[in-house]
Parts: sequence; structure tokens; C-alpha cells
Amino acid sequence: MSGEGLPVLGRLRRAFTLGLLVPAADALVLALLWFVGSLFFGFLLHGREVYFAGPWWLPLLVIVEGALLWAAWGRSPGMVLAGVVLRGSARGRFLYWALSHLGPVGAGLALLDREGRLPGERVGGVEFVEGRPTHRPWYRTSVGWAAALGMALALGAAVGTLQIDLQALLTKAPATVKYWQQVLRPNTSLLTLGIQLLIETFFMALMATLFAAPVAAALSFLAARNLTRGWIGRPVYLLVRLAGSITRSVDAVLWAIIFGVWVGMGSFAGSLALWVHSIVDLLKLYADQLESIDPGPVEAVTATGASRLEVIRYAVIPQIVNPYLSFTLYRWDINVRMATVVGLVGGGGIGFRLGGALTDFNFSNASMYMILVIVLVWAIDYLSARLRAKLA
Amino acid sequence: MAHLVIESLTKIYERGKVRALTDVSFEVERGEFLVLIGLSGSGKSTLLRCVNRLVEPTTGRVVLDGVDVTRLSPRALRRTRRKIGMVFQQFNLVKRSSVLANVLTGRLGYVPTWRALLGRFPKEDLERARRALSRVGLLEKMYARADELSGGQQQRVGIARALMQEPELLLADEPVSALDPATSHSIMQYLEQMNREDGVTVLASLHFLSLARRYGTRIIALKDGRIVFDGPPGAIDNAKFKEIYGEDAEEVEVR
Amino acid sequence: MKEWLFLVRRRFRSWATSLLTWLHGAYVAFSQWVRLVRPRLISFLFDWIAWVYLLYAGFSVHHIRTSPTLIWRPEEKFVLPELSPTGWIVVLLVTIELALFVRSFGVSLGQRAFGVSLAPAGGSGTRVAFPRRVLHFLASHLALASLGLPVLVNPERPWHERVAGVVLVPRARGASRYRPWWTSAYALTAAVLIGVTVALGWAVTDIQLGALVRDVGKPARLWRGLSRPDLSYFFTPHPMETDSIFGALVKSLFMALLATVLGAAIAFPLSFLGARNITATGPVGRLVYALTRGFFNVFRSIESIFWASIFAIWVGFGAFAGTIALFLHTIAALGKLYSEQVEHIDPGPVEAATAAGGNRLQVIKQAVIPQVLPPFLAFTLYRWDINLRMATVVGFVGGGGIGLLLKNFKDGGEWTQVGAVIVTFAVTVWLLDFVSGWVRERIV
Repeated sequence: MSGEGLPVLGRLRRAFTLGLLVPAADALVLALLWFVGSLFFGFLLHGREVYFAGPWWLPLLVIVEGALLWAAWGRSPGMVLAGVVLRGSARGRFLYWALSHLGPVGAGLALLDREGRLPGERVGGVEFVEGRPTHRPWYRTSVGWAAALGMALALGAAVGTLQIDLQALLTKAPATVKYWQQVLRPNTSLLTLGIQLLIETFFMALMATLFAAPVAAALSFLAARNLTRGWIGRPVYLLVRLAGSITRSVDAVLWAIIFGVWVGMGSFAGSLALWVHSIVDLLKLYADQLESIDPGPVEAVTATGASRLEVIRYAVIPQIVNPYLSFTLYRWDINVRMATVVGLVGGGGIGFRLGGALTDFNFSNASMYMILVIVLVWAIDYLSARLRAKLA
Repeated sequence: MAHLVIESLTKIYERGKVRALTDVSFEVERGEFLVLIGLSGSGKSTLLRCVNRLVEPTTGRVVLDGVDVTRLSPRALRRTRRKIGMVFQQFNLVKRSSVLANVLTGRLGYVPTWRALLGRFPKEDLERARRALSRVGLLEKMYARADELSGGQQQRVGIARALMQEPELLLADEPVSALDPATSHSIMQYLEQMNREDGVTVLASLHFLSLARRYGTRIIALKDGRIVFDGPPGAIDNAKFKEIYGEDAEEVEVR
Repeated sequence: MKEWLFLVRRRFRSWATSLLTWLHGAYVAFSQWVRLVRPRLISFLFDWIAWVYLLYAGFSVHHIRTSPTLIWRPEEKFVLPELSPTGWIVVLLVTIELALFVRSFGVSLGQRAFGVSLAPAGGSGTRVAFPRRVLHFLASHLALASLGLPVLVNPERPWHERVAGVVLVPRARGASRYRPWWTSAYALTAAVLIGVTVALGWAVTDIQLGALVRDVGKPARLWRGLSRPDLSYFFTPHPMETDSIFGALVKSLFMALLATVLGAAIAFPLSFLGARNITATGPVGRLVYALTRGFFNVFRSIESIFWASIFAIWVGFGAFAGTIALFLHTIAALGKLYSEQVEHIDPGPVEAATAAGGNRLQVIKQAVIPQVLPPFLAFTLYRWDINLRMATVVGFVGGGGIGLLLKNFKDGGEWTQVGAVIVTFAVTVWLLDFVSGWVRERIV
């Protein structure tokens, strides 16, 4: 189809990916490398945090030039992610590199080209083509080297930043003996109170899961790509997915802090936090499941003249009921674990008391609570796994 | 008047990248058993799916009983679809549902939506489902889950589902490709029975020429989305065969 | 000289063998008996407990609702009702009667759970006539009054069933497919149980929807902080803190990174010891397998906050303690995921490599590792995600990083700063989630 040129959408996509995304990704990778490198050498040489070493122009030059050179002469991370390789002569690559300094302007010019070629590609006679070079082990690719270097620098920087002090682990061990003794002698007088708190924690998880599942199930139909088509469906799909992923990145603990201020600390705040987090987490699991249903029955039921709702009722829902239940049980299992953690920051239940005992260094109380939590977590883990096995 | 008229049908997929059908035209008389043959990717499935608009044709017309299917509103399309039964290569049953539930979906075009959503089908539909299942010999499997059945049995459930629609036209998309030869014949015989006894026009795509010769009253061969042959089964000679399937092909018998 | 030793050994062996045979026989007989007794006695207990739970849950809901200050005294949420001895007896009788009634006149929850239902003796039809049900109901009272003696003596055909002319049969599949759920006793009971449980949960967790709506303005300063985060301390530390928000974030990221990388490095070799198909051959292997799995299970269920607190007093408050806490939890969590993955590999290549004469290490290297590497990598990335989230939590009990900052701001009531931290952290998690999801998609 090369004679007809690319349609506008294809041109836009090509110009955007190769002209903007790939250089941006490369620059980001190099910036990260520079950052961890600065931290690493900062600790090595000065013993303190140095975020960006050198005069301001030096990192800028290295990042920008490095990104352009990398794309022209090697296979840069951006190219790996875009799944392209650059084909062409050495002279062409040089011209491409020179013209790639146009940056976003070059991407704009690519829109004017019939094939969506960047100016550097056109002048240099080189071309980004889809595909990957013959397989090489990671240590023979530039991306592999960069990743290894980055990982090494990052680990070094981490050791510095976190003030890792292995000596303390040995020298200060005797001081902790009395706490270990407390851990080994759990305060059994807390048993009845602990069990009551445990029941409260259990119900926090249960209520959150129970009320999150229907909400998530209803929303999931709006968040499945294969069920949302057309001018209304697609924006709704994008909106629900985006809102879901943003909400999901606020952790349940953060929600617990918010709700703790809102409705007051206690198990209600904890349940609400778990509820919100369960909704968005289940929403993603559910919607992904919906997207992977077998399209055959949908086609068959549509062919009988059924309406959209009937297709969903007879071809979609029977396929998803069991996976949905299974995900819900799984989420219940997680919520029981999370309920303890959420309780710690004011969500009530046993987590609140456990957190209090830990901050008071009352380890015999803490160990009693911990044992109870472990028993509950194991029991629910076992139960949920058994039930899920039955559903499969 | 012909039962089904296809007029210069063209289908282009994916922003102009793949041409599945190019200017396909033919007419089907009522009561014909028309077989489509051709290699994989020659456009048979697309052609069948254009008839009930599971796939939207790019240009061209599909006229059923004098009605242009390509111009119908969504509502009218559903009313037309219920007269067109369809049988699929992978059976397309809801595997977790019972056989009965699968068969009853064939009535969805007829029952009111609220009834369908509550799952309360009329008594006569349940009776009809019994009749359809006993016709394909699966009455005792009525409450079994669809995935407990063998491939041939699943396809028979698919046929029962199509029977529930009381169709005038049956589209069969490679109904026997996933089955072994002996089962293939039994399935084809059910289709033949529908064609002969109920007067249903059948449009079936088949992989094997021998099956097409045995059951078809007329054969249309597609190659790269164009019709390369249209005529009675007997008219396909060796030269024609090579043209349809390529130089290296050998004819295989399915007994 | 060795003859006597041989004799003793043989003697001992025959003893041991006969003992084992006897034990096995007893075990088989016992399990047979249990299998017969289960659908009657244990399922009755199940039904009775369900009714007791129903009553107690109802009582607790009432108790919690009528005692408004229980939120500060959780130990008084569940109390025993104050009843006279007669009252207790009435409760006991009522629950027993209810359980017996449902078991005779319908399929009870317990019967359904064990997959049995009543049928007329003699094998004709499935409908049990009403008089037979009445008889069964009455006779069951006697059976229960004698502490289940008829069942214990003759579990196959107990007396009270023979009298009523009924028999307990395995529930026929597909017989009652299209019955609406509200017409069967077990479904109704289950629905009521679920309803009561929800009501109880509602009361226990102090759900007040009114407060949720009424107090929406309470965290006004937090809302302001969230909508317009105050980033003035993003790079320069707050006067009361040592770390800026950015610095604390970097610390948390490094905590998660170090804990994940080191944890994965330790979990990787351990996971092969914890995989049944690799290790569990022979008694030593089985012991190693059990020990490894046991270690994973125990350490996985101990929250990292517990470790963080211990290590905070061991090596001092700060990011190091948090890192160790995350690291210990990561070993166990990743170890379990890894070894399950190893257990689910395709045995084909392993067979091929073994057939080609490889020893166990060679087989692992050639046939197992190539299969498990991509999923391992995906799990590790996923774990990094979790560790980053956990790093905040760990910070709360002395683990350092952004969690510590958050706790200090929160305790100090600096809500605009809390908002800034939450927004910063959420954006970071979102970005990393996006990137790691993308990378995961490309390597698996």
C-alpha cells in the first residue's frame, strides 16, 4: 500500500510515536541514570544526597544528546518499547542524528510527509521499521547494559540513602533480647478482647467486600473495551478506566486517613477505606475478565435477533459469574489482611490495638494480637482457596 | 423472486489494509442448498456474516425477500435476524450454561425483553425446545452443562438453537471443520433434513470439496474475496479444482 | 553373632507390620463410619449451630444498636445475654426444634451442604409423603434425646428413619434445576443467614451513612490540601522534618527496590526447595519441602509492620529498619509465588532433559528456569508495586521514608501537607503502576 501513503491517523500515530514518544522515553531513561548516578557518587565521594551532580548544562547535554545518539546508532529503550529498529547507512544515520535535533518541530514536519517520515529519515534515507533485530543475550544489547548499570547504581544509591548499617544489625542484637522474650510470651489475658476485635476486623473486610462487589460489577460493564463501542461508549470506557486507575493508586491506608478525618476514627472509616479500594481493584479484575470472554456465544446470540441487553444476559453473564465470584473471594482474602493494616492508621479493629502495642513497644501484647491475626488470615486464606477451587 | 440477492458486496477491514470481499454478486433461490468453498481466508466467513450483518459490509447490498438488509434500523435488523438461523464452526455455545438454556436463546428474537431478562420463557417455547432437542436426539441431555458434551453433540445443540428460530434461511459457517469425518456426515444430514423437509434455504461454507459435492445443490467458490466458480457440483473438474485451491492441492475424500 | 540381631529385627518388623496393619484397618473402618455418620450427626450440628448463630446475631445487633458508646469499648460488643436458666433451656429447645423441623420437612442447609436429602424407603419415587415426614420429625426427637444412639449404632439404616419409612439418599443432580430459590428451605435459610450477617456487620463496624453525608465538610483542610497540594516543602525539608517530600519519596522508592531485589535474590533459590515437583522426592526432600513451605507460610502472614517495629529498636528508627521489614516479608511472599509457579511448569521439557541424562541441577537450568523466568520477573515487578505501598505503612511504625513524613504531618495536624504527600505518593504509584504494567505486558 506504499503507493497510497498513510492515512492521516496512521501518520499522526507514527509522527507522535517516533518523533516524540521515543526520544522522550530515551531522555527519561538517561535522566534516571544520571539521577541514580549522582546519588551514588554523592554518597561515595561526599557522603550526602546529591540529586543532580555537575553544572546544570552538563546533565542536560548528556540527557538530550545521549538520547538522540542512542536512537541514531543503537537500539534505545524507546525503540525497544515501540518495537522498531532503524535501518540505513552510516551516513544516513549521521544525517538522521543531525536532523533529530529539530525535536517536536521534526514531529510536526513528519505530519506533512505522505508516509509520516521524520525529516531525518527522509533526508538521511533511513527508516524506522517494525520488528526486532536477531535475538541477542541481554549483555550484548545497549538497553541491557543500561539496565544493568542503572540497577547497580540504584542499589548502591539505595544502600547510601537508606543508611544501611549492617554492623548495627550485629552489635545491637543483644539489646533486643528482652523484646524477643516478650514476643515469645504473648499476653494471653488479652484473648477475649482480641477475639472480639478480630470479629470486628473480620466484619470490616466482609462488609467492604460485600458492598464493593455489586458496585464494581455494575461499573465493569462500562469499563470493558469489547462492550463499549460507539460515540458514547468509548469516552465512557476511557473515563471509567482512568478514574479507576487514579483511585486505585491512592492506597487503602491513605483512604483510611481520609475517612478517619471524615467520619471519625473507627471501624467505619476502615470499612469505607477498604470498600473504596476494593471497588476499584475489583473493577479492574472484573473488566479484564469481561474483555477476555469468548466472543463466540456473543456472536451466536446476536445472530438470533436478540437485543443488546439480552445478549449480555444470555451470552456474557453466564461466562463471568464464576470468575467474578472467585475474584470476590480473593479480594475478601486480601481485605482481611488489609483490614489489620488499615486499622493501624485509625481504621479500628485489631489493627488499631496492634499498632498501639507496637508504638508502645509492648511486644507481649503485640505478639498476642499478631498470633490472632495470623490465625484469622490463615483460616480465611484456606476457606477462600477451598471455595475458589470449587468454583473453577 | 430470488430468496436472497447479494449485490456487488465489498468488505474492507482495518483501515484499508485487508480486502476480504471484492464485488461479490449472486442470487439464491428458495430451498437451495448452496455451498461456499475456498481456502481459509478466501472470504467465506465474512460473506456469511455480511448476510445477517454480524459484519457490516463496506459497500453493496444484501436483499432478503425483497428487503435490503444493509439499510435496516437496529430494531428491524433484529426482526430480520430471527428468521436467519446460524451454525458456527466452534459451536459458540455458552459452555457454563445448560443445554436447555443454550437452546432457548434461539427464541430471544421472539420473546419480549423483560421476559427474557427474567429468564421466564413461555410454556410453548419450553415445549418447542423439547421438540428441537428430541429432533437432534439430545433430549436426555437437556439439563447437562454444554461443556460436558462431545463436539458432535455440541454442534447438534447449535442446530437445535437454530431450529428454535424457525428460520427461513440457515447460515452454516464451516459447521463440521472441528469434527471428525463420521460425525461430520451426521451433522450435514441434519442440515440436509432441514433443507428438504422444512424448506429452509441453506448457505453453508465447507472446507472439503467432497462434502460440498455430496450435499450441495449448487457450489460457489471464492478465491481472495472474488467468485471464481458458480455452478452445479458436477461442474468442478480437476482444472477448476486447481484454480480454486492452488496448483499443489490434492483432493481429499471425507467418508 | 549377628543372628540374634537379625531375629530381633525380624521380630520387631513383624510386630511393627501387624501393628500398622491393624491401625490401618481401624482407620479405614473409622473413616467409613464417619462417612456414614456425617450426613446425619454432623449436618444436624451444622443446622443447630446455624440457628444458634441466627439468634445470637440478632441479639448482638440489638445489643450494639441500643448501647451507643460501644465504639470505645469494643470488648463489650459481644456479650452473653442475661437469661434465667429457664430462658437458656427455652433457647436450647427452640433452636433444636427449628433444626429438626427443617430437616424433616424440607432440605436443610446442613443436608444440602453434605449433599443428601430424604427419600421414601423402597426406592419408589422421590416425593416423601407428609405423614412419613411427620413420623420422621417425631422419631428424630427420640434419636436426639438418646444422644444420637440410633445413628451411632446403625449408621447405615438408623432406627428413626426405619420407623418413618424414609431413607437419606445422595441428592439427585439435575432433579430440581428450575425451582425458584425461595421455595427451598436451605436457600431460604442461607438468605436469612446472609441477611443477619450483613445486619451484624453493619452494627459491628458502626456504619453510619448519615455521618458520611453530614460530615463531608469535616476534612475541609484535607480536601483543600488534596485539591491544591501545598508543594512548598517538596524539595526543601519542612522545619520540623529532616526529609523533604521528594527526599522521603526517593527513600521509600529505594526501600521498596532494595527489599524487592534482595528478597527476590533469596527467594529464587529457596523457591526450588519449596516446589513439590523438584524437591519432594524421598524423605529428606519431603522434609526440606515442608520446612521451606512452612517458613514461607509463617513469615508471609506476619505483617511487615511487626518486623518494622522490632527492627526499629534493633537498628534504630529509620529507613534501614523499614527495609529489613519489607525484605523479610518479600522473601516469604515471593518464595511462595515462585514455588507455585515452579510446580505448574510443563513437565515435558523436564522429562526430555532427564531422558537426555541431565542431573538435577542441569535439569533445573535447562528445562525449568527458562519456563519460569518471565513469570518470576512479572511477580517481582508486582511485588515492587506492593512494597512501595507497604513502605508507607511501615513508615508509620518507625520505618522511615514517606510513611514517617505522612505520620508526622498527620499527627501534627498539618492537613495541607498531608494532602501534598498523598497526592505526590498517589501520582508516583500511578506512574509506576502504568510503567510496570506496560513492561509486564511485554515480557510475559
